[in-house]
Amino acid sequence: MSRAGTVNAALLAVLIGGAIAAHLAGELFVVTLATKAAIFALAGVGLNFALGYGGLISFGHAAFFGLGGYVTGILASHAMSGEPLTTLPYTMNGTNEMLAIWPMAMLVCGLAALAIGALSLRTSGVYFIMVTLAFAQMIYWFAVGWPRYGGEDGLSFYVRNVFPGVNSMQPLTWFAICTGLLLLALVFTATVMRARFGLALQAARRNPQRTVAVGIRPFGIRLTAFVLSAMITGLAGSLYADLNRFVSPAMLNWHMSGEIMVFVILGGVGRLTGPVAGAMLFVAMEHLLGGVSEYWPALLGLVLLGIVLFAPGGIVGILTGGRRRV
Amino acid sequence: MLIFEQFLNGLQYGMTLFLMAAGLTLVFGVMGLINLAHGSLYMIGAFACAAVAQATGSFWLGVGASLAAAAAAGALIELAVIRRLYHRDHLDQVLATFALILIASEGTRWVFGSFPLYLSLPPSLSGTVSLGGLVYPSFRLAVIGLGLAIAVFLFWLMRGTRLGIRIRAGEADREMIGALGVDIRSLYTVVFALGAGLAGLAGALVGAVQSVQVGMGEPVLILAFVVIVIGGIGSIGGALAGALLVGMTDTLGRALLPAALATIMPQASATAVAASLASMLVYILMAAVLVWRPTGLFGVRG
Amino acid sequence: MSDPILHVSRLRKSFGALTATDDVDLTLHPGEIHALIGPNGAGKSTLIKQIVGELRQDAGQIRFEGQRIDRLDAAARARLGLARSFQVSSVIADFTVLQNVVLAVQGASGASFRFLRPVLKDPALTEPALFHIRQAGLSERTDTPAAALSHGERRKLEIAMALALRPRAFLLDEPMAGMGAEGARTLVALLSDLRTEAPILLVEHDMDAVFALADRVSVLVYGRIVATGTVDEIRADPEVRRSYLGGDDA
Repeated sequence: MSRAGTVNAALLAVLIGGAIAAHLAGELFVVTLATKAAIFALAGVGLNFALGYGGLISFGHAAFFGLGGYVTGILASHAMSGEPLTTLPYTMNGTNEMLAIWPMAMLVCGLAALAIGALSLRTSGVYFIMVTLAFAQMIYWFAVGWPRYGGEDGLSFYVRNVFPGVNSMQPLTWFAICTGLLLLALVFTATVMRARFGLALQAARRNPQRTVAVGIRPFGIRLTAFVLSAMITGLAGSLYADLNRFVSPAMLNWHMSGEIMVFVILGGVGRLTGPVAGAMLFVAMEHLLGGVSEYWPALLGLVLLGIVLFAPGGIVGILTGGRRRV
Repeated sequence: MLIFEQFLNGLQYGMTLFLMAAGLTLVFGVMGLINLAHGSLYMIGAFACAAVAQATGSFWLGVGASLAAAAAAGALIELAVIRRLYHRDHLDQVLATFALILIASEGTRWVFGSFPLYLSLPPSLSGTVSLGGLVYPSFRLAVIGLGLAIAVFLFWLMRGTRLGIRIRAGEADREMIGALGVDIRSLYTVVFALGAGLAGLAGALVGAVQSVQVGMGEPVLILAFVVIVIGGIGSIGGALAGALLVGMTDTLGRALLPAALATIMPQASATAVAASLASMLVYILMAAVLVWRPTGLFGVRG
Repeated sequence: MSDPILHVSRLRKSFGALTATDDVDLTLHPGEIHALIGPNGAGKSTLIKQIVGELRQDAGQIRFEGQRIDRLDAAARARLGLARSFQVSSVIADFTVLQNVVLAVQGASGASFRFLRPVLKDPALTEPALFHIRQAGLSERTDTPAAALSHGERRKLEIAMALALRPRAFLLDEPMAGMGAEGARTLVALLSDLRTEAPILLVEHDMDAVFALADRVSVLVYGRIVATGTVDEIRADPEVRRSYLGGDDA
């Protein structure tokens, strides 16, 4: 196995082994922390798909994280109240089935990303960063101002949605569901990046002029990558809503976009398991430093600053000894 | 008359956005740097104003302090962090300046606490002025006047002074001003501190009518980005036009949409829909500009 | 003479007061190497950019195999078989030689929206790619990252990528630039073979290479074609000697 492959396997082993050990030791809170790390990692894997491999610096992925969350919260609350979501053009009811909620969340995020991406990809460089940030903020303000689903206060649904055959309220089971999806997303990313689409996407990032000269238009490739990326992050948002049984505009806030980016960067941009390492470190820091000082985000800021200025390969870069790939 | 009042409100809002956007767009244009921490400088200006005004009892000293403190903080972070980022890619710039926000916000929370501070206006500005039948707060008029004066000052600075010529030369060709023997490092520090000072001033002016609290700079920062996307990067004229357009759209949208929607739907739902729609309006404006001119109204093509 | 593959007629392009392309007529016929020479700033790059579709002309037409292509974008022109190499080697540095050429095969196939099968295990991509790598004389470097290639090898990689586009015409922008004497000789031999694949429009400063390879030469000065003819005609043309060859025995 290559050194990068070893690091990938080791990181996943730490996450999964840690959760199982915590379960055996009866530390249920640690299992929940590991679940949170897996969900954040999934959000980061989504962003990494566009940012790491496609060079699309989206500062608006909270939009998809939050939309995925709201789709979940809205469907669950309607399932609970029994009130149909809409009666036009035909009656559509809420649901508490994860297997129905996930595709719906991903569909909504995919459509939103199609619209946002089609507009944002007309620009590049700093414009792209600002435009994705602005569109995410638009959705944020919309959620704050729309009273139907809680507005500023958010929306609670008291019971976690159900997954066939298992008890999703049991922490280790719920961890297994989330980690299973994370592994699927990692396999999907690795597969796509080795296939034609991934080759074209990475080529368009590294040398767009050359890519055009061999007859490949970057726009469609990038837009597709942006949509797929948003769908993965949206799925993570759905899980995060289920983790907390609560959604609020905070999931759509630009700080969330920044944090998803931090998961990717702490770990290492454009590296398969970079977001896994980044999310684990983030959750660990939040838990450990948050206990030491209520000002822990300042410490996170210092660590982030240090990594950007002095270790641009992130954690996985340090572990593999390789330079960063972007 | 209502429309005229809202027009003035939009103008005033636009002017504060312009103060934010001017510094951002200069830093983009000259140094090629995206600075998310610009909102933190706005916040620092507001806190400096509040602290000094409270200590001395003078609002004017507070305004002076907002400029000075934000410019000093700007120069400091330029020297310590920002200048290491000029040759980095945008991703590094975004992350490092995001880290600066976290540090600045928590640092401010540590010093001043989480509760909002309120400023009181001096008597000369807390009254109203009668404008042919419209009674309008004089402070807001002063903000409009100050914004215009600073716009004129910036145009003069860019067009008519040696510093401006150097800045514009730097926009055109970073290598060239090096070749001309201009000390780029200190030029960059000056430009950054200038932008920071303007952001701090904007923070003080907005803090005087709203409140001063941690995180106050962030919504304004994102709107300043919208202004720059609409106006075009690196252009003071574009920043002014974009800021006024955004200020007007937002203010008039919030004022007029509820009534407009009430004509086509029941009052209660019209209010709710209008509130959501009005908050999205400037972003819809931005989307329209992106479709029409992806590099902004005043941006250079390419 | 047979119909031209590439036919540029009355092409014009101005940037403000500067006319960079001034009523240019140019043809490229099957089997030939047509060299385009001219001093720096004559407008060669601007002309190439219009032909490949990176710049839109102000007036005039570009026909490729009889079809108007002057309104197509660059990617569409590449897929029709207009293969270009770049003035400064422009390969994808952290892709291997094989990945670079596979990318070109994939581009020519027009099918990039496939998500599952690994490209390096797809014989429909790798077999043609390996063939073109062999054709360009790079077989020993198949798995080397492009960044680790020598300058001459990168030139060869460019040519392998151009070949992979199943070209109907080559547009080679200064392939000799920066080559040593030894490298230049192998490259001249390679280009000479290349014409059997498709005709070449060759923009080149290296006069030895031009005179060794070209069937016809056009001289571009201040955006205008001042002379077109065989190598001997151009060598003898007094105006060309004065305006470009500078009276040297080039």
